[in-house]
Amino acid sequence: MHNPQVKAIRLIEIFLLFSALALFVIGSFLGDTFFLRLATESLIFGGLAMSVDLLLGIVGLLSLGQALYFGFGAYLSALVLKEISPSFFLAIGVVTLSSIVLGWVASFIALRSKGVYFALITFGLAQVAAKVVYNTRSLGASDGMMGVPVLQIWTPFGFVDAGQPGAFFLITMLTIGALYAVLKYFLTTPMGSIWHAIRSNENRLAYVGYKAKGPKQVAFILAAVVAAVSGALYPMLRGFVSPELMFFSVSGNAVVTVVLGGVGTLIGPILGSVLLTSFKSIIGTWTVHHHIVIGLIFVVVVVSAPKGIAGLLAKYFGKTNSGKGGE
Amino acid sequence: MLESLQYIYAPQIVNGLSIGVAVVLMALGLTIIFGLLDVINMSHGEFYAAGAFISVSLMAMGVSFWLCLLLVPLLLIPIGFAMERLLIQKVFHYKDRHILTLLLTFGVAMVLEDGYKIVWGANPIKPSAPISGASELLGVMFPNYRLFLMVFGALIIFSVWALIYKTQLGAIVRASAYDKDMSSSLGIPVMRVYALTFAFGVALAGLAGVLLAPIYSVFPTMGRDFILMAFSVVIVGGLGSIKGAVIAGILLTQLQSISSLFISPVWSDPLVFTVMVLVLMLKPTGLYGGMKNA
Repeated sequence: MHNPQVKAIRLIEIFLLFSALALFVIGSFLGDTFFLRLATESLIFGGLAMSVDLLLGIVGLLSLGQALYFGFGAYLSALVLKEISPSFFLAIGVVTLSSIVLGWVASFIALRSKGVYFALITFGLAQVAAKVVYNTRSLGASDGMMGVPVLQIWTPFGFVDAGQPGAFFLITMLTIGALYAVLKYFLTTPMGSIWHAIRSNENRLAYVGYKAKGPKQVAFILAAVVAAVSGALYPMLRGFVSPELMFFSVSGNAVVTVVLGGVGTLIGPILGSVLLTSFKSIIGTWTVHHHIVIGLIFVVVVVSAPKGIAGLLAKYFGKTNSGKGGE
Repeated sequence: MLESLQYIYAPQIVNGLSIGVAVVLMALGLTIIFGLLDVINMSHGEFYAAGAFISVSLMAMGVSFWLCLLLVPLLLIPIGFAMERLLIQKVFHYKDRHILTLLLTFGVAMVLEDGYKIVWGANPIKPSAPISGASELLGVMFPNYRLFLMVFGALIIFSVWALIYKTQLGAIVRASAYDKDMSSSLGIPVMRVYALTFAFGVALAGLAGVLLAPIYSVFPTMGRDFILMAFSVVIVGGLGSIKGAVIAGILLTQLQSISSLFISPVWSDPLVFTVMVLVLMLKPTGLYGGMKNA
């Protein structure tokens, strides 16, 4: 582990895994609901942030409308669970397949543009979708959909009641962990290298004999799937979906999370989400104006540490490395 | 046919124009800031709200609306100047400054919006229109304030155009946008030009806020709804293009107001965005190029 960034990522992974397991054990032992559900929610939004990071940190595309896929996953999952069958795997499967199609279609629109145009077009797409959902009565319009049944989730060890906060926390952890593993796997493939190359210099890629278009499209679709599957977990936790899930504040929050945790690390956004969610609920107990605090922190992070927590860690490791005269 | 034109379309067109003029003011600020600094100012809507809120407070203190039109932009200039100098300049030398400045201004927007909630409360405030009554034009009654808004806004838009294309100051700004190193070696204080241009754009947003406050209500998230329209205008017109902002601003607001005669108004926003997406698909840099090409 010579690379300080790799070291920082490994440290965050271990830290998150152990604190999650500790929370699960202690929480289940004490019969806690609040913290387990809060942690579940932070993982769900962490999945959304991870998809933003795949585009922003790996490929170099800033999406300001990732909530579109998150909300799509949430609504579709709620529909499947309510109307077809309350099955976890059916919902996840349907959401995965449909989000591949949605991401594929959207990629033709969004990937025609680059840089700030990409940011603004994803923003526009999500706004259109949010307004349409907000005004569609069959999707519950501004009220959203309520009454998503509590799931009995099949596992090799028997059925698990998703109404139990500890059990569903574990399921969420496994799902988000699986998404993380898939993305990590993609990074080891040649396509992963091309993504990094696109981020460094897209124009030069052609000179080396690669096309940027295909890999970009794959990344875009993957990001849509990760966001949608994370979104699919939301109604299972909350029992409802609302059009707010598609609003810009959700997309924007995901970007804040990514920057706070560390752009380009994929695991940093999960850490960022855990921190932001717990932070919000702590501040939320003494003021409703948590945005002002989060906004200030965000501005400070962007100005002084644009690589976020993971970047700070990597910097620290880099220093201790060079202190020892390099490894 | 003629009657429906007179009684149904004409009022809608005039309403659309009066809002269009304010949208163009917002979009001009955005597009000038982008054209020169390459910064997408996500807090632009919050400065529009700032203009509205400050005018509400000033009028409560007994300042007349007409003085507000002058005072509010003047008050916003130092704020914009400071923001550019203290925050945006800090991330300006990074390679991915496009994204960093966008994030930075997004953070500022969050802080400002919540700040408004603390200072002015979350409930909408509705200032009364400074000009009441209506006048008859071609046999149709139009509210006087909207007519004033159109004329005044058009004057400001024309002045901005003249300032940028017909004065030495404008030449300095255009030169800095075209080649900042060359301008700098010719003795132009490029950094100060950047900060002042940002402040100028922000002041335009504030002015739009003062002008629209009597038509819409004033509330903390007012910027968020309005910025969508301004962004679409800037994108359709082409980032950095003044001509594009004016033409797209008028076209899109007309589309919005005329389409709301046929479809429910809640669908006119998606329609505008769809047009934006279509334009981007067909011509990814918008209808007109940047300030650099002008």
